Amino acid sequence: MIIVILWLIQDLLTVFTGGGMQIPGLFILGVVCRILLDDGSGDGYLWGIWAAFAGGILWDLRWIGIPGFFTLGYVLVVLIVIQVWGMIPPQGRVSGTSVIVFVLLEATQLIPPMLPVLILGGNTGWGYFLTQQVWALPAILFTMYIYLRTIRDRTV
Amino acid sequence: MDSRRSTAREFVHGITALILALFLLGVSSGLGIMKNIVDIWGAILFIPEYPAVVMREIYLSWRSWSRDKNYLSSEVSRLRNENANLRLELAKISGGRVYSDDRKTDSRTARVTLRAPMSWWSEIRIDRGKNDSITQGLPIFSGGYLVGRVSTVSAISSWAELITSSSFMIPAVIEETRELGVVEGDGSGSVLLRYIPAGRGVRSGMKVSTAMIGEELPPGLPIGQIAGEFTSGSDGYTTYRIEPGADLSRFYTVNY
Repeated sequence: MIIVILWLIQDLLTVFTGGGMQIPGLFILGVVCRILLDDGSGDGYLWGIWAAFAGGILWDLRWIGIPGFFTLGYVLVVLIVIQVWGMIPPQGRVSGTSVIVFVLLEATQLIPPMLPVLILGGNTGWGYFLTQQVWALPAILFTMYIYLRTIRDRTV
Repeated sequence: MDSRRSTAREFVHGITALILALFLLGVSSGLGIMKNIVDIWGAILFIPEYPAVVMREIYLSWRSWSRDKNYLSSEVSRLRNENANLRLELAKISGGRVYSDDRKTDSRTARVTLRAPMSWWSEIRIDRGKNDSITQGLPIFSGGYLVGRVSTVSAISSWAELITSSSFMIPAVIEETRELGVVEGDGSGSVLLRYIPAGRGVRSGMKVSTAMIGEELPPGLPIGQIAGEFTSGSDGYTTYRIEPGADLSRFYTVNY
């Protein structure tokens, strides 16, 4: 449910800015944050893959017009996160992973918007990505805070 | 063992999702149905997105108001200076008699409340109606220039036909040459002056205003200036393009 709300907030913010500004990918941040907090029992992280797929398609249908661009980016990010996270033993995930978590969360904001440019081409340049990353930074830091607080509450 | 199996399964699902996304990317751009799906999804999202749309409109109108206010303030002070200089010039010409602009004008302002994209160059709705003494055929102005005339009136609002409307036709005169013609819009943002005999020395920059022979509009209402020749027909008449004095792309209020 929270992921659906995040998707909607991301959409509303994009509507508000008129699409003229790259809004942080709140939806994919939410999906990845849940993956990082999930212990992967049961069906593992399959829900994350297909949630990213569905969210990506809906985003493409709303803002790109051709499904595939953000779908590809979101699924790719989730797949990378699952693989990297899977390499870390569960005992090691609790502490000392802040840098890895930050890098993984940063990847959620870097890869999806970069794919359409890589596929279609364009001259948006580094300035565009830099601005987008600066806008995304507070969202990434807030997600990190949520992650670290939840981990701390679990260990206490 | 379970963990390894789970990882493998996630990998397979992930790759499947990636292939599916690539497939959609490759195939969907050529599918005509995709446009319908995009439209339906947009229509569904219209309801939850509505607050954001309203907030954006409020923000944009506030920004526009703020920018217009600054622009108008600077314009007013510029016109005041210009007016003072003109009065001095006039005083010199008329032997020291200084004219004042104390003459009361009963010009009132109405706000443009609707300008539909489908009829952008044809009509506008204003927030004044019968209760505010608006009558059918009443000329409306922006920046002192004619922008249209009232076409239908209700109690609290009215619709006005713009000079760019293709159904707008009024007799007009070129002030410098006193040639008479007909001003009409083309429905796409241009205003034309028709039926001017060729070879009468009409040049760009000459002023055009409403003519005395008009029944609905009083004479002498400024419309704009000649922007250039549009067409010259074999019938001996030339059509000129008029640059309206009012900025028809950015007016939020009108005077009447």
